[in-house]
Amino acid sequence: MHRVTFVLLHALVIVLIACSLLTGLRFSLLTQDWLTVISTLLPQGDLYPWHVASGSTLSVLAMAYLLLSLWQPFRSSPTLYHLWVNRLGYVIIMSLLCSGWFLWAGQFVTFMQPVHFYCLWLLLLYLLIHGWIYFIQYGKHILSAVLPTRIEKQSAFIVTSVCVAGLLICIATQYSASPLRVAHLGPDEFIEIDGRDDESHWKRAQVYTIETHGGANFDDGRSIIRVQALANQYESYFLIRWTDSSKSTNHLPLLKTEAGWKVQQDGFYHFDERTFYEDKLAVMLSRSCASGSDNTAYLGNRPLQGKPPNWHGKGFHASLDGEIRDVWHWKAVRTNDMYLADDNFFGPPAVVQQGQRRYSAGYQPDGKESGAYVMNWQWYTPNTVIPKRLPDPENAHLSVLPWFGSAPYQSTLDQYAPGSIVSSILYRSNRFEGDRADVRARGRWDEGIWTLELVRKHDTGSAHDVPLKNGTCMWFSAFDHAQVAHTRHIRPAILRYSL
Amino acid sequence: MITRLLMSLVVLLIVIPLLWIQPLSPVAQPHPRFVKLDKTGSPMSPWQGPWSCVLDTQKHLVWEVKTDSENIHDGYWTYSWYLASDQHRPPRGDANLGDCYFESSRCDTQDLINKTRQTALCGLTHWRLPTSDELSSLLQSPARPGHVHIAQDYFPHMKHGDYWSADHSQPLTGHYQRFQQGATAVNFHTGEQYPLPYRNAAFVLLVADLPPEFQSSRLKSVVH
Repeated sequence: MHRVTFVLLHALVIVLIACSLLTGLRFSLLTQDWLTVISTLLPQGDLYPWHVASGSTLSVLAMAYLLLSLWQPFRSSPTLYHLWVNRLGYVIIMSLLCSGWFLWAGQFVTFMQPVHFYCLWLLLLYLLIHGWIYFIQYGKHILSAVLPTRIEKQSAFIVTSVCVAGLLICIATQYSASPLRVAHLGPDEFIEIDGRDDESHWKRAQVYTIETHGGANFDDGRSIIRVQALANQYESYFLIRWTDSSKSTNHLPLLKTEAGWKVQQDGFYHFDERTFYEDKLAVMLSRSCASGSDNTAYLGNRPLQGKPPNWHGKGFHASLDGEIRDVWHWKAVRTNDMYLADDNFFGPPAVVQQGQRRYSAGYQPDGKESGAYVMNWQWYTPNTVIPKRLPDPENAHLSVLPWFGSAPYQSTLDQYAPGSIVSSILYRSNRFEGDRADVRARGRWDEGIWTLELVRKHDTGSAHDVPLKNGTCMWFSAFDHAQVAHTRHIRPAILRYSL
Repeated sequence: MITRLLMSLVVLLIVIPLLWIQPLSPVAQPHPRFVKLDKTGSPMSPWQGPWSCVLDTQKHLVWEVKTDSENIHDGYWTYSWYLASDQHRPPRGDANLGDCYFESSRCDTQDLINKTRQTALCGLTHWRLPTSDELSSLLQSPARPGHVHIAQDYFPHMKHGDYWSADHSQPLTGHYQRFQQGATAVNFHTGEQYPLPYRNAAFVLLVADLPPEFQSSRLKSVVH
């Protein structure tokens, strides 16, 4: 390998490593709160494409370097220290690339996710003991070894080929999806949406398995999600099971204290509750299938220009390409007793409302004509609240307060003793009506597994829904008593109907 | 080598303070037109609550704010259009044909006006029905799917339906022609306005003129 080729490839590696490292650290910040201190140094916005592009190009470069080294090795004479540091660097970079691809594929996540995470820190260490030590040893002269001073045709061809091949792999991986085969359901075959997988029809539906990671409270942040799908002429049915060692229905409960009623929370004020919250599952559907989150995750404190920052510093969901993404948001307390999933969507960032403390950008519920759950407080403060209603004593244990079976709050009639706990969720009606009620759903938890049955029309006709058809892509995220800290996977499932 | 170590130290000293730069936190921005008022009529910041009224700095009006607390201002209650007689006018409209829980009989607009005046909501006692022009001035495109045509961050619990205005003696046409006259209602679902028979049950959003003595004090205390 010519020296010029080596220098050019080395310069390209520096750029690619910097891109991967900075975007990777931003992803790490989703789960590692202590990294918030470096948040201002990190890039913001839609970072998946950058991470995948730099990873793809780096993979091609690594292969090219290996082949070139076998064919025509670059002759240099590093000191023993740098020889071993370089070898360490090769191991770290290869580990990062391999684990990254496994994470992209959603396979062996249990092992690969920690490998990827710890190798990121080893990479930082490597940059220190490699780059910094070279600088200490050689000062500014090291720049002549790192920066290309001239370009040869062959070197330029190799580097260009690496970049082009990397880009092609990036495009291929960006739009690669794993098939989720939808089995046929006859017109006389019935599925009851009850959260039980006891209908024999499910047995003929292939199981799609994806390992998701990065969620708060799950064992090591991971949950394995298994999905089966059936469809008749009008509707698609989904059976989704995911691992969650605890059933959490303790949703922001109201605790009676000597000072009055208080909302139990540990982050709700910043819209990132991770203790007193219900379990949830979110499904995103899209007509397009870009890896990551189909360009709907804008990470960082203020990732959208001209829009407010977010409270938790993690980011926003929004769609900036003019296409909406459908989101089904099943909630173990708020919607489960409605036998519904909350039908939401990711659209363009919404208009800022000055009177609203929380801005959720493109994440919006579909419209509804009536019906709702409401929070059982007149106005939320982190100190004390005044409940809207108190349950009759025999209903105090319920996770959702029924309208009939509770009474409007009056301080003089409040007989609850300090230490009493009541629900913060009040149903004003049995269910949503309208566009927001398009997805029927019911979940049950048993022995560390949530089982959720969902059904929706193939095409609801709503502008905020994505039709269920061949080629529709889906992503799944589980929440373990967390408001926003959900698990994620990169490569989507693509629906393949047998009809 | 010592120089390079010192240079590294300098770079480190420059980078480390950057870590203390706190990311931007969301900051409340004033609404260009509306200000929240608490139950005594004192201005509040945009994220404070609960608020009972909204000061309309453009129209110099104070609007009632609906609730879901089952009190007299609950947004679910409906009213027939009725104004009792006074020194200047005879009674007009149809009494007690709406639905609310705070009256033993059924409800009409006069009931809500009386109750709101009695409780001196936001320190004001001259609550009334808004004119259709005043009510229509609140119309704006919904900020979110399924929202009504109003600034719902300041006017929560507004329903997808008709709200009474004070404009009465409006000729009725079509299906309602047999009732001859009615009052104008503004529909916050569609953004339209049309006359309805007095006997219809519709929602109500009361308004009060900002008294001259309040104008300077309240508007001055509003920080925009």
